[in-house]
Amino acid sequence: MRAVLALLLLLISGPVLADPAVLKDGDILRGRFVQERHMQGFANPIRSEGDFVVAPGRGLIWRAQTPFAVTTVVTNAGLVQSVNGTETTRLAASRLPFLSRLYDMMAGALAGDWHALDGVFVVGRAGNTVTLTPKGDDDRTGAQIAGITATLGRFVDGVEIRKPNGDFDRLRFSDQLLNTRPLDAAEAGLLK
Amino acid sequence: MRRVLALIWLLVVLAALGYVAVQSVQGLRLETDILALLPREDQDPVLQSAKDRMAQNLAGRAVILVGHPSREVARAEALNLRRNLLRSGLIKPNTDIPDQDAIRRLGAAYFPHRAGLLSEPDRQRLGAGQGEPLVTRALSQIFGFGGVADSRLLARDPFMLFPAFLGDLPVPANRLVMDGGMPSVADGPITWVLVSVMLAGEPYALDFQRRFVEAVQAPSGVALLRLGAVFFAQAGAEQATAESSRVGAISMAGTVLLVLLAFRSVGPLVLSVLAIGTGLLTALAACLWLFGSVHVAAQLFGASLIGISVDYALLYFGQVFTVRTAPSQRLKHVLPGLTLGMVTTVIGYGSLALSPFPGLKQVALLSAVGLIGSFLTVLLWFPLLDRAPGRSLNSKAAAMAAALWRFWSEARFQVARKAVLALLALLTVWGMTRIEPDDDVRRQQGLSPVLVAEQSAIQRLTGLGQNTRFFLVQGESEQQVLEREEALGDRLSGLTGWQSAARFVPSFRRQADNARLVQTALIDPHLAAYRARLGMAEIEAVAVSDTPLDLAMIRSVGALPILDSLILDDAMHAVILDGGADTDALRMAAQGLEGVRLIDPVGDISRLLEAYRHRALMLLAVSTVLMVPVLVWRYGRSGAVRVLAPALAAIIATPPLLALAGLGFSFFGAMALVLVLSIGTDYGVFCAEDKVHDPVTLVSVWLAMITTLLSFGLLALSDVAAVKAFGATMLVGVLTAFLLAPSAGRRP
Repeated sequence: MRAVLALLLLLISGPVLADPAVLKDGDILRGRFVQERHMQGFANPIRSEGDFVVAPGRGLIWRAQTPFAVTTVVTNAGLVQSVNGTETTRLAASRLPFLSRLYDMMAGALAGDWHALDGVFVVGRAGNTVTLTPKGDDDRTGAQIAGITATLGRFVDGVEIRKPNGDFDRLRFSDQLLNTRPLDAAEAGLLK
Repeated sequence: MRRVLALIWLLVVLAALGYVAVQSVQGLRLETDILALLPREDQDPVLQSAKDRMAQNLAGRAVILVGHPSREVARAEALNLRRNLLRSGLIKPNTDIPDQDAIRRLGAAYFPHRAGLLSEPDRQRLGAGQGEPLVTRALSQIFGFGGVADSRLLARDPFMLFPAFLGDLPVPANRLVMDGGMPSVADGPITWVLVSVMLAGEPYALDFQRRFVEAVQAPSGVALLRLGAVFFAQAGAEQATAESSRVGAISMAGTVLLVLLAFRSVGPLVLSVLAIGTGLLTALAACLWLFGSVHVAAQLFGASLIGISVDYALLYFGQVFTVRTAPSQRLKHVLPGLTLGMVTTVIGYGSLALSPFPGLKQVALLSAVGLIGSFLTVLLWFPLLDRAPGRSLNSKAAAMAAALWRFWSEARFQVARKAVLALLALLTVWGMTRIEPDDDVRRQQGLSPVLVAEQSAIQRLTGLGQNTRFFLVQGESEQQVLEREEALGDRLSGLTGWQSAARFVPSFRRQADNARLVQTALIDPHLAAYRARLGMAEIEAVAVSDTPLDLAMIRSVGALPILDSLILDDAMHAVILDGGADTDALRMAAQGLEGVRLIDPVGDISRLLEAYRHRALMLLAVSTVLMVPVLVWRYGRSGAVRVLAPALAAIIATPPLLALAGLGFSFFGAMALVLVLSIGTDYGVFCAEDKVHDPVTLVSVWLAMITTLLSFGLLALSDVAAVKAFGATMLVGVLTAFLLAPSAGRRP
């Protein structure tokens, strides 16, 4: 869970890392993703493709389209997954204080302030690569994530999340657009 | 002879003084446990011990939420609070919320037995043959954003049923998450961190309460929410003590002022105080001697004693307004009324001792001894100490008293008298249609509204509550008890949340049933296609334990202290309920289930209050009957009826009149009626003894009534509903009795 939240944070702060002046009020980041889950005991990585929308202050829509259509919406109320409009998973933010903290972190990151992340991760940067390593004192994050590496272009181009058991998720992003085009009705409905 | 008796009485009073002084030096034992006031059921010892254990469990815990917009501040303050409480020896070091490490050990203990473990919703789905939604859920967790998918887990639990089971465990405070090792919940901008403690002391002991409640504090800006019997008990004790000292002080001050104004000399005041003082002193000594302690409720009602014992002094000193100047003459004139009044009042108070409430027995003893003490002081000391000169009665007071006498005796007022009585009868009948019995003990207690609000906030945020209702499940073996809990659980789902041992460790039979459901509704129809879709390798043979999970295995992990409160013994478990559900619906749910019954301690007490309300009315009848022989002996049959009539009219009219004002009729109101009867009879007696309709008599009775209202009338202002009902009943009843009392005077 924390891994994906850190990822969300990276996504939104990608433009800031590249050019802190780029993000304006009302900006919305859209793009496509390819996710590969490399898991032991599986012949091939589990691959999914889809698109995402990040609306700062409102939340994230993560729509996997192939091979299995599942929509995940993260807002400050929590995380909801649905398949064909039917809810399959719901995690309320009140059960995930980290999720609420994420919004503080996002606000910080948007202002180019990485200290918020410092609480949980050791942040390292070399060239166009950012690495996040969980701090030892937060054993919960440590149990779930061994490390995160992100490569930056103008936006975040790719992310790799490594799990302690050797599994890893690899994400690639493309067609990213940052502009003030408002949310369409479906998107606004999901982020309500 | 009289002097010898006065001397003996002096020795008794001095002995009482010495006894109380010695006790005070050793520390007066004040009891504040409200439960001590209530009768104990002695019918079923098993039931009683189960109730006691559950009540102790509940009372021995407290929950505090520490809130601040900054997560770090909230966490630091929560740590601080626990450390301080621990350092002061106020709490035990263990806690009932499992920590991260305990949860991990718990997961390890459960995992080998996962084949027989299902969350309740999953079980229902599979039971209905719906495997498909569980497949979809698993796929959405694998392909979606986030999720718990992990290759090791997927190999052993392809549909991720085990995380669903763990997430469905009814651990206390399951709305909280472990955030960095501390149970927390975010609510808007505020982060709340939970401090759950087990008290190291007795929650109903005054000193422990005070130290604990004082220690639970945080710097300004940090919010605290508190839940626990100890907080309510402390607030209740503080309120009762404050109220009793306030009632005592105002009652005393008012009485002093009244006596000074009425007699315009210090002598009567000093002697009145002496009469009250000796009464209270001997009463306190008797109470301590017999019971070893004084209950705060007895103290509170005992404070009202002042209002009655001063009546005797007032009736005596009323004589200064007459031509009788010699103290012995004064006494002789009032003695028959005084004696009869004392005897009837002691009968009235004494009947309180017949009530089953231990606290009221104390009130009865305290009052009876106190009244006899005051009476003896008037009888034996006043003639020796009285130096008050004769005075003329204030002309206005005299005129008013004379008017009231005339109203009840002269023929020309007959129509008006009938009109007044008809109006009273009308209001009474009207009020009777509105009388609502009020037996709910929760309304009688006067719980601190601040704490009640904090309690509901905690309930909303954490799901932790203090529900006193529970099911007791009994059987011949542990497995039978678990199966009965499961049968009960099937009926409870949808009705309320609940915690039972069977939800943590299902019965062997249920585990086998779960494994069968997973096989037939999920694995057989769906697993092959699911694996093919994911490209998942053939599942390696992962060790699945073939022995079913039993309670001892999970208890030995030590991660779920809640099991210790759920398991009373091998053959008897408690099922704890979340708040909310209707008691009747819960009782219905248990119907027809063998070995299962709903225990509702609060409801039981309410039902007891109802039964005792009926008993109090019986007591009233008994009390009346006991007074009759004394009155018939003195006044003859029709005279006795006339003397009793004002008091009887007052006790019949008061509950309906209060009902018109919106007050329900409770056990405590009924108990007050017993006193209205004896005090009202006093007034009737005093008036009946006056054959010449002397305004002095009525002024004395009027003074007596005012002092009574000063003490009891103030109780009507109490925040404790029970005390308020008592006070309001006294207020209306005594006033009515006073206004009707002159009708008891014999017609010239």
